[in-house]
Amino acid sequence: MNVSTFSPPKLSLLTIIGVSAICLSACGPSEPITEGPPPDVRRLTEDQYKNIISDVFGASIIVGGRFDTPVRTEGLQAVGARNATVTAAALSQYDEMARSISEQVMSEPSRQFLVPCAMPGQVAFDESCTTQFISKTGRLLFRRPLTDDETSARTDVVRETTQRLGSFKEGLSSGLASLLVSPQFLFIADVVEDDPDNPGTSRLNAFSKATRLSFFLWNRSPDNTLLQAAETGDLHSEDGLEGQVERMMASPLLKAGVRSFFSDLLEFSEFDFLEKDSLIYPAFGAGAVRDAQEQTLRTITDHVVTKDKDYRDLFTTRDTFMTSTLGMVYRVQVKARPGTWEPYQFAPDDPRIGIQGHLSFLALNSHPGRSSPTLRGKAIRNMLLCQQVPDPPPDVDFSGFNDPNSPSKTAKERLTAHSTSPACAGCHRITDPIGLALEKFDGAGQFRQTENGAPIDTSGDLDGIDYADSKGLGLALRDNPATTKCLINRLYAYGSGNSMSSRSEWMTYLEDRFTADGYRITSLMKRISTSNTFYAVSAPDMSGETIETAANNAAID
Amino acid sequence: MTSHTSKTVFLLASFLALAAGDNTVYAESQTLGFAVTKWNTAMHETRFMDECPVGPNPGNWEIWESTLTPEERRAYEPIKINSFPPAFFRGANGEDVCEVPTSVQDPPLNVVEGKYGYGINLDGNTDGAATPKSCKHENFTSLNGETGVDNQMYRLMGCVEAWRSYGHIENNANGHRLSSGLGMILMEITGIDDLMNDDSVKVSFYRGVGSFTIDSEGRVLPFTSYEIDHDNGVPRYDDRVSGKIVGGILTTDSADVNLPHFGNYQYIRQLIRDMQIEVDITPDSGKTSGMVYGYYGVEQFYSYVRGMLRNFPNRHKYSCSPIYVAAHDLADGHPDPETGECTTLSSAFKFEAVRAFINHPDVEKLASTSDNSGDLAMNRR
Repeated sequence: MNVSTFSPPKLSLLTIIGVSAICLSACGPSEPITEGPPPDVRRLTEDQYKNIISDVFGASIIVGGRFDTPVRTEGLQAVGARNATVTAAALSQYDEMARSISEQVMSEPSRQFLVPCAMPGQVAFDESCTTQFISKTGRLLFRRPLTDDETSARTDVVRETTQRLGSFKEGLSSGLASLLVSPQFLFIADVVEDDPDNPGTSRLNAFSKATRLSFFLWNRSPDNTLLQAAETGDLHSEDGLEGQVERMMASPLLKAGVRSFFSDLLEFSEFDFLEKDSLIYPAFGAGAVRDAQEQTLRTITDHVVTKDKDYRDLFTTRDTFMTSTLGMVYRVQVKARPGTWEPYQFAPDDPRIGIQGHLSFLALNSHPGRSSPTLRGKAIRNMLLCQQVPDPPPDVDFSGFNDPNSPSKTAKERLTAHSTSPACAGCHRITDPIGLALEKFDGAGQFRQTENGAPIDTSGDLDGIDYADSKGLGLALRDNPATTKCLINRLYAYGSGNSMSSRSEWMTYLEDRFTADGYRITSLMKRISTSNTFYAVSAPDMSGETIETAANNAAID
Repeated sequence: MTSHTSKTVFLLASFLALAAGDNTVYAESQTLGFAVTKWNTAMHETRFMDECPVGPNPGNWEIWESTLTPEERRAYEPIKINSFPPAFFRGANGEDVCEVPTSVQDPPLNVVEGKYGYGINLDGNTDGAATPKSCKHENFTSLNGETGVDNQMYRLMGCVEAWRSYGHIENNANGHRLSSGLGMILMEITGIDDLMNDDSVKVSFYRGVGSFTIDSEGRVLPFTSYEIDHDNGVPRYDDRVSGKIVGGILTTDSADVNLPHFGNYQYIRQLIRDMQIEVDITPDSGKTSGMVYGYYGVEQFYSYVRGMLRNFPNRHKYSCSPIYVAAHDLADGHPDPETGECTTLSSAFKFEAVRAFINHPDVEKLASTSDNSGDLAMNRR
């Protein structure tokens, strides 16, 4: 560059606008001070349990056995885990699983990688090896270093079993099983400590903070790096926390966390109980059930993580993924070979848009042999708008609606007659106009023009916004303020296990930030996971009971 | 286009879609694919087999047994019918009677003598007289009362129980095709402007590779995507014919068409001369049925008969030699220019099909890869 011709750059209008835009999104109002809830205990979900076993011992370890039925509270199993206990039957299952996992870990070739000090055929107890194995494994399972007492207790188990059975391998196996049935593993307990920065107040200790963060972003235990950040106290510093959040959000495991959240939000656990009449919907077999869930989760992670797009567009997007199995149900051409996926875009004239037009949503919220505008409308209200629709009264008369000889050919006609009853009208008024917009998709989610030979009227309204069809519903859903509020509410509750209620300032703050961030979930997750409120906790009132004894008590409830 | 006009077009399109009873979403330019799931020789079968006044044909075993003395029969009594070589190798010089059907003189085949049969008038005349493209033969009347129906294949095989609707041969072949996916016929109709009425469409026939998708009840599911069998991007079967749609029924012009066929452990490339097809393409369920008419080569047909397992003629009651002789006697199409003898049998076939999507080979992708792994059917030629 010729120095003599150099002139300093001038601030253009665009530069100013750009800087202002950055400030609007990044330099917004500071986070309101919010008092945290009392510390709590949550039972590991099935997915969390399996993720931990896979992470610690390898993906080849098979976790057999049945888990207790999860409890859903405020729309999420992650919140319901607070109220979950372990029944005697479930304890027995945990014990079986622990023994099976331990046996696999001690078998070749897993043992070589996971227990390097134990020699095959060794009969003598090896204290050094035991301590090393128990400490290392226990730290990953308990999500914190074991205390000396905890290590010593497990070491005793290994010693006694080795001596009794004459096999060090069996001894280690028993020691590992005792870790796996421990409440410290099966329950996520909030452990609090005095906050040195704010005397007189409490905070989550660094390991509980790491655990909350890790389950929120990855739905699995903290990895070694995060545990180290907790051990050094780095996680309590603003920079330390941000650094960990940045690292974890850049990880491919973020997708697993996002999948887990949406799987919980959309109640995909109900697929375990889904039944469809194979005579009516022959194409909707087990393969379609499996692929339908995967399709929606792939669509979501691709949209909100890979492409980092506006969350609201999930309800209008035509982009998805397809398999040959799904192609039969959607009645579209698929070039991917069986068992593989390909990106797919529904045609502009296709009535199917958004994840609410996916088979997963449509089939799950239908009856075994027919569609259900009411179930679909209720699901959208509950899951996506966080609006609780009560269950129907026990004495409701469905005979008119279900009458096969009814002159009413379409669900809309039948529902109109049914909902004239005052006991039914209140709820149907808020569910049916939503569900009826999806009536051109049958009970398996397949497109249809007619029902019983009669044309289907898909017009309706959502909270005052009229539409003519499923596309209109998608747009109305996208633009409904409750849609984004609900996501924020659920996402915070999913990560913290606590309700958003009574935190209106925090909610307003997140709403504003979410809007400024272009409704990108990754930004929202980052904002939540780097906030003080997410980890805020009030002093526990245990009346002499420690949080860990509470976990022990819950385990034998 | 004004909004009024576009609304009218939209309503018209909606009306047509409803009229078709079709729940599939179609793009503007329509292509429909079908996979054939069942294929049978069209037989008009009456309850008491009136069309076969002499009765059903005897099997190879019965014919052989009738040549034995009572003493010989007693001597053979413990021998199982399925594995008895003397019944097969009973030619004058010990020939296999299916391999060399002229090596014995079996009783003539009992053929259909009824009035009615499936099919169409293929040769253009109604009296069965010889024409430049056909030999003298007897015609049938269709079940709709149309005269001049040519179906010598039915006349030939209608009294052979193994080929009738309850017989083993074609049911076995259909079962083999469904379970293996071999010999899968794909039919693609392109250039459809109007699903109900279109005076010009193209119909292409391919062989599919892969398996049928079958539900828990054993039914083939419609709307599966199938790959075309190809050799480095060039379909091994790719015959095309013009057609039209009237009231949702597709009919085609006459053309020679090669179709894949698999069944009874053998694969044949079947050429159907002057083939025409008739099928309803607008079923709501995605499943349909139709007819194929045309001339089937005598040698092609006998090659199929000859290629079956050696115990079939005994087990399933047919005999090769009478079929071979009668097939040549009854042949009514495509006279040999030198001998004047006809070489094909007028035929009619019933088929069932499901809607399918047909994936054409990605020629660009194939060109960019060194190995031709898309060529899945090399071992099925």
